[in-house]
This record gives sequence, structure tokens and C-alpha cells, in this order.
Amino acid sequence: MTFSSVRWFVPLALLAGAQAHAEVQAPDISLIIDAYHSSNDTALGGRTKGWGLSHTELGISQQFGSFARGTLTTVLEANEDETDVSVEEAYLQSLSLPAGMTLRAGRFLSDLGYLNGQHPHADSFTQRPLMYRAFLGGHYYDDGVGVSLVVPTDLYWRISAEAFDGGELGEYETDSTVGTWALSTTLGGDLSRSHSWQAGVSYLRNRMLEADTDAHDDHHHHEHDHEGGAHGHSHGAEYAGKHLYLADLVWKWAPEGNNRNRQLTLSAEYARATDLNEHASSDEYHEGWYGSAVYRFAPQWSAGLRHGRVDVKLGHDDHFHDGALEETTAMLAWSPSHSQTLRVQYTHQDAVEDWHDTFAGADNTVTVQYIVSFGAHDAHAF
Amino acid sequence: MMRTRSKLALLAVAAWAPLSAQALNIFACEPEWAALARQLAPGAHITSATHAYQDPHYIEARPSLIARLRRADLAVCSGAALEAGWLPALQQRAANPAVQPGQAGMLFVAEQVETIGQVEHVPLGAGDVHPEGNPHLHLDPERMRKAAAVLSQRLAQVDPQQAGAYRSRYLRWSLAWQQRLDDWRQRARPLKGQRVVVQHSTFDYWWRWLGIEVVADLEPKPGVPPTPRHLNALVAKVEQNRPLAIVHSWYQDPNSAHWLAERTGIPVVSLPSTTMAEQGLETPAELFEYLLQQLLDAHHAD
Repeated sequence: MTFSSVRWFVPLALLAGAQAHAEVQAPDISLIIDAYHSSNDTALGGRTKGWGLSHTELGISQQFGSFARGTLTTVLEANEDETDVSVEEAYLQSLSLPAGMTLRAGRFLSDLGYLNGQHPHADSFTQRPLMYRAFLGGHYYDDGVGVSLVVPTDLYWRISAEAFDGGELGEYETDSTVGTWALSTTLGGDLSRSHSWQAGVSYLRNRMLEADTDAHDDHHHHEHDHEGGAHGHSHGAEYAGKHLYLADLVWKWAPEGNNRNRQLTLSAEYARATDLNEHASSDEYHEGWYGSAVYRFAPQWSAGLRHGRVDVKLGHDDHFHDGALEETTAMLAWSPSHSQTLRVQYTHQDAVEDWHDTFAGADNTVTVQYIVSFGAHDAHAF
Repeated sequence: MMRTRSKLALLAVAAWAPLSAQALNIFACEPEWAALARQLAPGAHITSATHAYQDPHYIEARPSLIARLRRADLAVCSGAALEAGWLPALQQRAANPAVQPGQAGMLFVAEQVETIGQVEHVPLGAGDVHPEGNPHLHLDPERMRKAAAVLSQRLAQVDPQQAGAYRSRYLRWSLAWQQRLDDWRQRARPLKGQRVVVQHSTFDYWWRWLGIEVVADLEPKPGVPPTPRHLNALVAKVEQNRPLAIVHSWYQDPNSAHWLAERTGIPVVSLPSTTMAEQGLETPAELFEYLLQQLLDAHHAD
């Protein structure tokens, strides 16, 4: 995993270096530590029981003149069972293409959905919503190329297209060069000084699913359920379909647009994966959604509530069993400075429909999380 | 009748279209730079990313701002890390090569006009201190003139066809500014040597220019909101110094200033840290005029 992204990064960095050696500035280095204690394991990934480090990232970012920017993000995850180091980002991004275009190449976070393109340490909750954990392995990054276009309109309008080798979405036996490709578009604007919004739709095509012909879902599931349940840090989608559709809506309110003192953020996303395998009929699909409300009621304090659910089809030979999992999360966060956050989160999971203990870990969990960052890190997105 | 009207409409569109296509599109991070740009480039299309009721340190990289930066020919910002929390996110997403760091279309005023309070390195736990110095340099009328010179040069660089017009407009503006400076300096004399209590280092340049001494800050550390403990500790200090006023910016929560005012009897003065057309403070000159008058009023009432 780590090796394949280094393979991407080295030639790209050399290329950039050769083109812009005259104007090399010092790289930005950032370290973000995410330490936690969790009272329990949660079903479908998330943080594991006990003490641990989650998504502790060392980032190096270097601008090559006005031509491009290179980013390398190494992530360390450690808990009482295992330690895992991976390269989540190693890409070059163009800065000087005309017509609002941006090209990315290497390993990077896909533009899918609302949360996927954001770094997890900027999240308002300690773990991604169920639908992200079920369908995108928490957050989907992969090796590939992407192009996005910001249309020169008053309304913000971005269109992205990406092609990936697919290696990070799951372990499939396939030799297709383009394992996945994605399209996404986002619109956004202000309703007034105090209200702003963003909405998007995206689509992810999984081409590996049809290439990997041998009763894939069957073996895939059993293997990955255990991995997801026991270790928390599983990349790759637990529940896949040939087509994944996502829709997201975000609305933010701050009095007079001054989000320093108070801000309310409402967000919701929906996902549906179809064409699960050759036995699936058109009304057999995976589905998931969440809604979240986060209120910053004082400059250093915020509280949030999130509820989400996934309805999945658990493949069993030529038919499916229904599975449904719900998760409700409440959190309180204190940020004494912009580089530190202490968060307490309560998570309640409910296996509404289960089959063969797929969601055996579903329970109540209390997580305490401390995030501290050093050095310059990327400004946060909307 | 209908035909004439539609012909007229067509003519109007034809007359307007090339003009609007050529109008320079200016994105100002803060309202004062938009106001200054309006003085120097009245024909340009100018927007400000923020307004006087927002804390410019904490702005969200909203989609509407990305869309605006996308179409900008020139971005004018204070710099000195004031916008570090949001402008880079806008630059990355706007995909506009003209306003990337280091380009002529990206002007950080603090890179061209010297700041005060520069430090070699910021010790851990010092609060939100910028090593590049205090970024609120627009509140020094002298530095505002230097900024105008820098901005007019930059306008000429990104829009060379109108270079002559920018130069002559700056010269005219600068002469008028000199007259105002003389007037303000004279009227501000009684304020020299006065003391104030502040909330954040927003007006540091203005106090320096007026010769006013800052005796206390409601913030325990730069950028850290006031705490009850810190405010309590200030009461004795304020009573001993008897400052002219407790000053906070429009965008700040006034509660801390009022709390201290109640205990010490020192009046609270709420000041705009930047221009705001809706409040009659459209130009930089109107802003300084207002700031000066508010303080003179507080002084007379004393």
C-alpha cells in the first residue's frame, strides 16, 4: 500500500522539481496528533476499544513556483492490537492551468460527497458517518488522476472527474488499469450575510466488481466484517456495488456571517450502491444516510448531534439477507486554541436487522479525543 | 414601438457588454482595501470578502467566496497571516492562476508596507501571534497612503492599458490625503498621551499614530477571548490608570467591555475596525474621520 504511492510520488516530484527549481520555497510541514480513549469497539469500523492514536498525520506540502503544489500525507494509526502506517496523500496539484481547471495526479482524496475530500481531523465527530464507513472505507483516497473545473459563475459551481486504479477501495482480483472512476459536482452560495449553503451530487463507478467474477461478495464480506469490526482501521468499502450515488447538502448559519462566536452547521448526505452482484435485482441495493447538526455556542465550545443509518444487503450465495444499522452520536468539543481540540463523544449503535452477527459490535461507546496540531496545516474547507 | 424598444435594448447591451468585459475584477479580503480600490480604480468591479461585523481572522472558505476569487484579476489582502486560516483554501479551490501566491494579481499589503510588532519566533502558548507583525496596518493613516501607492502600482501592472489613469488618480488622492492628515493631526492633539483599554491588537497602529497608550488588553493572550479571571485582574489596573475608554471593535462581543465598564466607570467605545458603506463609512477618509470624532467625543465627555 505504502509502496505503490511512493512509486507515484517520486517521478511526479522530480518532474515538478525540474520545471520549477528556480523558485522553491521551504516546504510546509505539519503534524497532527489525534489521541483517544474509547470505552468500546463500534460496529462497522470506527475507533477500537482502549487507548490509541487515530489518524495521526505528518504532512509535507511544497509549492513549486506558481506551477504546482505537492502534498505528502503519512498517517499513523495505533491501537492496543496493531499499528498501521500508510500514505494517504502523495499528489501534485496544478496551480496555473487556465479556465478554472485543476489537475491532480498521484494519490489523493476523491472529491466525492461532502466529507470525503476533507481531512478527518477537521471533522466534528470522532468517526465518519456509517455510510462513509460502509461504502467508502471511511474516506476514499486512491492512486489516479483527477481534473476539476470551477465555472466562472456568480454561483459557485465545480465539476470534477477522477479515474483511479481502485486498489484502495477493496481487495479485488482484477487487472484493470482504471478500477474506479468518479464524477461529482458541487453548487454553493450565500442566501444572505448569515446563511450559506452547498449542495452536491456524485457518482462512483466500481469497475472491479464485474472483473472479479468469482462469487465475490460472499468471501469479501466475511473477511472484511472481521477486519472492520476488530481493528477499526479498514480501508476499502465493506459494502460495494457497481454504481455508488451520493447526494449532499450543507447549510451554515452565523449571525452577520461572523462565525467566530456562534455558528450552526447542518449537513446531510445520502448514498445508494446498486448492482451489487450478478444475483441482485434492481430493488436490491445498499443505502445509507446521515444528518448532523453542530452548534458552536461560544468561541471555544461546540456541541453536535448526528444520526445515521445504513441498510445493506448481506450476500449469501445467490440471495441476500437484510442488514440495518443505526447510529446516534452526541459530542461536546472544547478548542482552547485553534491548534487544540478536546472532544467527548457518546455513540449509540442499534443493529435494527442483523444476520450472522454482522453488526455484533453494536453498543454504546464513550470516546474521549484530543487533537493537537503543530506547524502550518491546510486551511479548512467549508 | 416594440421594435424600437428592443433595438434600444440591443444597443444598450452592445454598449455595456465590452465595457463590463474589460472592467477589472478586484477581490479584496477586507473592506478597507475594497474602499481604497474604489478610490483608485472607480471603474473596476470590486467586492470585499468580509465586512466590519466579521472577525477577519475567522472567515469560512465559503463557496460564494471561491466563486468570487475565481473571477478576480487582482486580489488585495492585508497579509501578515491575517487570512492564513481561509485565503489559502480559497486560492486552492478557485483555480485562478492570476491570484496564486507570488503572482502580480495577489497583493499582500503587509509584504510591501512595514508592519509593527514583528518577532523572530513565537513562543509556544503565546496565543495567536503573527511573526510577520500586526496585520491591521490599514488603521495607520500614513501606512494607508503607502498602501495606496502600492495598490496603484499593482493596478497599473495588472491593467497596463490604464496605467496612466491609475497614476494620476493616485496623485490626486494622495494630495487630498495629505490635507486630511494635516487636519487630523491638528485635531488629534488633545488625545496625545491619553490611555485606553483595548480588546485585541486591532487598533494598535491607530493608537501609535495618535500617541495614545494602551494600558490593558481584555484578551489574556492575543486572539484568546477574555476570561473572567483575566477581567477580574484588570479592574485594579484600570482604576489606577483611569483610561479614556474601553475600546472594542464592532465585530466583537461587547459583554466583556461592559462588564469592566460597570466595575470601573470607564466608558465603552465601540469602533469599526474597517469601512462599512451601510453605516456611512464608505471611504478610508470617512473611517478615520469617524474614529477620530468618536475618541474626541469621549475625551470631551470625560
